[in-house]
Amino acid sequence: MRRAFPLLAASAALAAAGAWGQAASGLALFIDPARGNCIACHQVPEGAGPAVRANVGPRLDAARLAGWDRARLRALLDDPMRANPDTVMPPFGRHRILDPAEIERLIDYLHALP
Amino acid sequence: MRCPDRRLAAAWLLALAAPLASAADPEAVRAELLARERDRHPAASPQDLAAGSAAFDPARAEEASRNRPAPGAAEAVEAGKRLWTRKFANGRSLAGCFPNGGRGIAAAYPQYDPRVKRLVSLETAINQCLKTHGQPLMDADDPATMGAVLAYVRSLAEGRKVAVRATTAAARDRFEEGQRLYFTRMGQRNLACATCHVNHSGRIYGNAAIPSPIGAAVQWPHFRDGRPASLQVRIRECLGRMGAAPFPAGSEEITHLEFFLAYLSNGLAVRANAWRPPP
Repeated sequence: MRRAFPLLAASAALAAAGAWGQAASGLALFIDPARGNCIACHQVPEGAGPAVRANVGPRLDAARLAGWDRARLRALLDDPMRANPDTVMPPFGRHRILDPAEIERLIDYLHALP
Repeated sequence: MRCPDRRLAAAWLLALAAPLASAADPEAVRAELLARERDRHPAASPQDLAAGSAAFDPARAEEASRNRPAPGAAEAVEAGKRLWTRKFANGRSLAGCFPNGGRGIAAAYPQYDPRVKRLVSLETAINQCLKTHGQPLMDADDPATMGAVLAYVRSLAEGRKVAVRATTAAARDRFEEGQRLYFTRMGQRNLACATCHVNHSGRIYGNAAIPSPIGAAVQWPHFRDGRPASLQVRIRECLGRMGAAPFPAGSEEITHLEFFLAYLSNGLAVRANAWRPPP
């Protein structure tokens, strides 16, 4: 995470910490090691998040997410093992790593990716 | 999110099927995992894989080479030697508890002890000696005592081939239990060790390549920020990152996992006290 844009990381960390009573943004959840930590496995387009070398999961962008409507993403984030028993992706919903509102904000972020 | 490698299904089947088999065959399991890793990383020898992340990451390999010997290692080895040779009140010492003063022994741990019907890690063997001679035990997680002793005793096995034995039915059962734990999903993130290290070795997680299961028992203790960390310490850290309550230091579970990994390192030369980046 050392390659994260400093400003982006700082603002995300503040948001993740619930500074000023705000809920964590989708981006903050995406990059927070203690929450989604999606960035540990997935790259995102330049400008949408920190530049990383991670490649355990596919690079996420608008093209990769084509066809992934909210319901499909919600089901995946809830428990990806339903679709792929061998997956390395955690069951964010089923294991309460993220609450339902946080999963919705993560979906907002994913749908906004260029 | 489908896994690019369908052979992982075979590994899972192997893991699921193994406990059903009447007798575990550690050599078959090791051969299967060696073959998988050879297919995935044809340019890397098993000894190369023992370098951990550096085996897949030229920048990390370069950094590791610049840090050889690892900062702090010489001091820890020296401190460990003092603890190893220090005479107890009864005139005995840690060195006196082991054959040849401990030279080369580290390559054969953990080992199954039929007298106590348990796996004995190097840490446990050291503490057994201390207990026998009425000395206070060392904390398995303490870099200044157990860490230093491990750094020294492992240095006495430098270059020796790892030779962990699972020839009896009881030892094979322990291997099988280690294998079962290695392939069992656990914790909030629902990961097994194998989910990452078998299915995705060499891929970049965070900013580091995921080490192979082959050779994982070769380079410890690792030196990070100048301090030694044993394989058991590293396994417990990994469990914490998986969102699992780590098995306690020195527990049977941790020793089973270490035994499984050490067996997978059989035949590879010990390269103790290797540098690792700060945790």
